[in-house]
Formats: sequence, structure tokens, C-alpha cells
Amino acid sequence: MTERLQKRDDKRKLNIENKKEDREAPIREKCEHFHDNLSKEIDEIERDVSRSSSLTKTELIDHFDGLTVRLQKAQKFLSEATLFLPSYDISKATESLSKLQNMLQDKRNELMPKKKFAFKSKKASEGDGKKTKNLSTKDDAHKKSTKNEPCILADCKFVDEDGKNLSMDPSQINQKDVALARLKHCVVKLYGSPSAIHVNELEDCKIFCGPVSGSIFIRECKNCVFILSCQQLRIHTTEFTNFYIHVTSKAIIEDSHDVQFAPYNWNYPGIAEHFKLSGLDKERNNWDDIDDFNWLAVDAHSPNWSLVAPEQRKNWDP
Amino acid sequence: MGLLTILKKMKQKEKEVRLLMLGLDNAGKTTILKKFNGEDINTISPTLGFNIKTLEHRGFKLNVWDVGGQRSLRSYWRNYFECTDGLIWVVDSADRMRLQDCKQELHSLLLEERLAGSTLLVFANKQDLPGSLSSEDIRKTLDLDNIKSHHWRILPCSAVTGENLLDGVDWIIDDIASRIFTMD
Repeated sequence: MTERLQKRDDKRKLNIENKKEDREAPIREKCEHFHDNLSKEIDEIERDVSRSSSLTKTELIDHFDGLTVRLQKAQKFLSEATLFLPSYDISKATESLSKLQNMLQDKRNELMPKKKFAFKSKKASEGDGKKTKNLSTKDDAHKKSTKNEPCILADCKFVDEDGKNLSMDPSQINQKDVALARLKHCVVKLYGSPSAIHVNELEDCKIFCGPVSGSIFIRECKNCVFILSCQQLRIHTTEFTNFYIHVTSKAIIEDSHDVQFAPYNWNYPGIAEHFKLSGLDKERNNWDDIDDFNWLAVDAHSPNWSLVAPEQRKNWDP
Repeated sequence: MGLLTILKKMKQKEKEVRLLMLGLDNAGKTTILKKFNGEDINTISPTLGFNIKTLEHRGFKLNVWDVGGQRSLRSYWRNYFECTDGLIWVVDSADRMRLQDCKQELHSLLLEERLAGSTLLVFANKQDLPGSLSSEDIRKTLDLDNIKSHHWRILPCSAVTGENLLDGVDWIIDDIASRIFTMD
């Protein structure tokens, strides 16, 4: 007991001591130290990224994983330094790190294109056993013709389609989770009330959906229109996209720009029933109240999103 | 103040457990917290910042910190590491596309010195969704078996139905108590 008390006390004293030292170190010196270290690390990572092309496939996985970890460490280093860095330096450093991140991502996509579906290919490459290998080969086969076949990725999904009109009816999606991924020039109509939707990498698509009882998660979309109603809506890394929404909590955007919002205006026979099923409050719609996680200033409006002017709002067929 | 009083005070204080709840955005952290506390879960907005709740449970005082999981907030997670007894890592079991992200974030957290010695509970949340992965799948994908630095356990759960939330919290408290409150 006393030993434990003693230990605690020692630890506390040590902490105080450390903090004191931290405070006493002159801030300028810290800044210089920070800049030297960060730019050195950035240079090194950059060099390693450009060296990737000369590696074999098996080496690449470790190579990229290693680089990602290093990049994360650099990011951590930066976030620790935000305590004393001037804000200009912080934004500069953030910018160069995100540039580096993009460069790494691009290189990775270029050299290991399959990696995009990281979850499956990774599993297989680690040789987790026969079962997962089987799954991933089956999944490859499915990528070519996903429609009307049992799904492996999720119960309901549209993946890898181009230029199609797709739809699902209530018996397929009610109270299920739906996944949409890598669609181009498609129109998707989801009649019914799913529990949740995950959307990834869409381009030039129009997505219509009935009331979702839970959350919708959208990532990496471009030039799309979404007509959605749900409890929660999260939008990430998306650009030049319009949203006609009914959201009962609050929608958020992150790393997105040129996104516009309007009230939900899709209608089809049976939608009232689906609203009931979803439990969404029809009277409560916060379509114009968006949180931008990259814009925390309260006194100025985020430049990343705006409202669609009433005369420019479109009307849709069921 | 006699020694006994001091000891009593310490013991009272030590019945406090600090739990930190982290995970990618959309994992359901706030929903778990509110459901556990018996609050309405239909009006929850994505967390910009954090929520703190102090709950009484089985004679323990639980200080639960629920920190937003958006990418732009993750660099602030470190501000909440200090004095954490238990880490609850929440996973959206239906978000197959981001499980690798999830794995990376979790494993880099576990390297944190200030989280060393804390107990790890992984909630494979959203089991109410038919398309969700089982906790077994999540365990493999997140490579949990390689975690040697922390006591850990994974449980399938659903914040919507409340399934397993109590079991999870009970387990993490028991594990923490067996490490810290040896006086009982």
C-alpha cells in the first residue's frame, strides 16, 4: 500500500518535472527543431515513394505500409507541435503532409491498383487461410457481374457499374444496409427504407433513396446528385455534388468542396409508409444546417458548401 | 485527518474509472454511450468535439469520454489519453471499405505510451444490420490476436438494440478493477 502511494507520488513529481522542463525550453528553438526534423522526414518519405517503382509486388505491400506508418508519425509529430507552432507554420506543414499523403496514395493506386478494395486483397495476401482466399476469388468473379447474384461484400449492393439505370425495391432493402461503390454515369433508385447506406467512389451518378432509419456515409464522390432522407448524413472528400436531403439530426461535410444542399423532394408511391417504417420525423428536417469539419469558425460561413437557390432546384420523376 | 481518512478518500477516488471511447467516424460511439445511459438515440448528430458522461454503474463511477472520429478530429485524440483506464474501440461492422483504416488507427493508438496498461474493449457494433461482419471476421481483419501489449476482448454489439453493451462494460470494469482496486 505505502509502496504504491510512494510510486504514485514519484510519478506525479516526475510529471511535474517534465512539464517544467517543457515550459522552460525556449519556444524558438523548438520551432526550428520542428522544421528541421519535419522537412528532413518529408524529403526522405518523398524519396522512398519515388523509389517504389523499382520494387517487386510482394515488397510493395510492406514498403507502402511502412511509408504510411512513417507519414502517420510525421503527422503526429506535427499535431504535438501545434501547441507551440504559429498558425501559419501549422497550415504550411499540414499542407505539405497532405500533399505527401496524396502522392503516396497515387503511387499506391498506380502500382497496386487492386489494393483499392484493401480489405479483401490484404486478407488474401496475408494468407489468412483457405477460406478467405476462396472468398476473395469468388469476389473477383462477382465484380464483373454483381447484379442478381448473391452478394459477398454486403447483402445489397451495386458495385462497378457504368452507364446503367439500377433500382432495388422494398423487399430487397427494407431494414437492410446497402452499399454503393465505384459507379459511373449511373442512376440508382432505392425504393424502400434501408437501415444504413455506405457510398464510395461515385462519379456522374444520380442516387435516389427512400427514408433511411440510420446513417448514410458518403466518400469520394464527384459530379453527383443525391436525393436522400436519413437520420445522420456524413459526406467526405466529395466535390461538385448536390444533395437534396431530409436529415433529422445534422449533416456534416469533411474534406469536401463545392457541395450544395436543397430540401428532399423525391416522391414515389408508398414513400409515406416507408417514412413510418424508418421512424424518421417528417416534420424535422435540418437540410440547411451543415457542419463543416474543416471550417470551425463560427463568425463566417464555410466556403465549401452552399444552398441551391430555390429557382434552381430540380424536380424528379418517381 | 488520520491515515484511515486519507485511505478511505483514496479508495473512493479510485472507484472512479476513466473510459475513453474512440473509433472511426460513423462507428456509433455516441449512440453506444447514449443507449447505455438510457437516453434517446434518434436525434444524435455527428460529434464535433467530444461528449463526457459520468455514470454510476455497479458502485463504480464511470467517466466516459466519447471523442469525435472524423479524420480532422483524430489528431486531437491524444489530448484525451492521460489517465485512461480503459479504451473502448468502436467499429462499424458494416463498413467493409474502411476496415483497413480502422485497423491502422487502432494499432497506432496501441503504441501510445499514455495508453499503455489500459484495457481494450473492441465493440463490433451495428450487428443489427444484416450486412455486418461477425466479430470473428473483425477480430481477424483488425489483427487483434497480435495485440500483446493490452488486455483485450472483442464483443459483437448493437447500439440500436442495446445487445451486449452491458456485458462489454461489465467486462472492462472487471478487468480494470482486478488490476487497480486490489484492496477490495
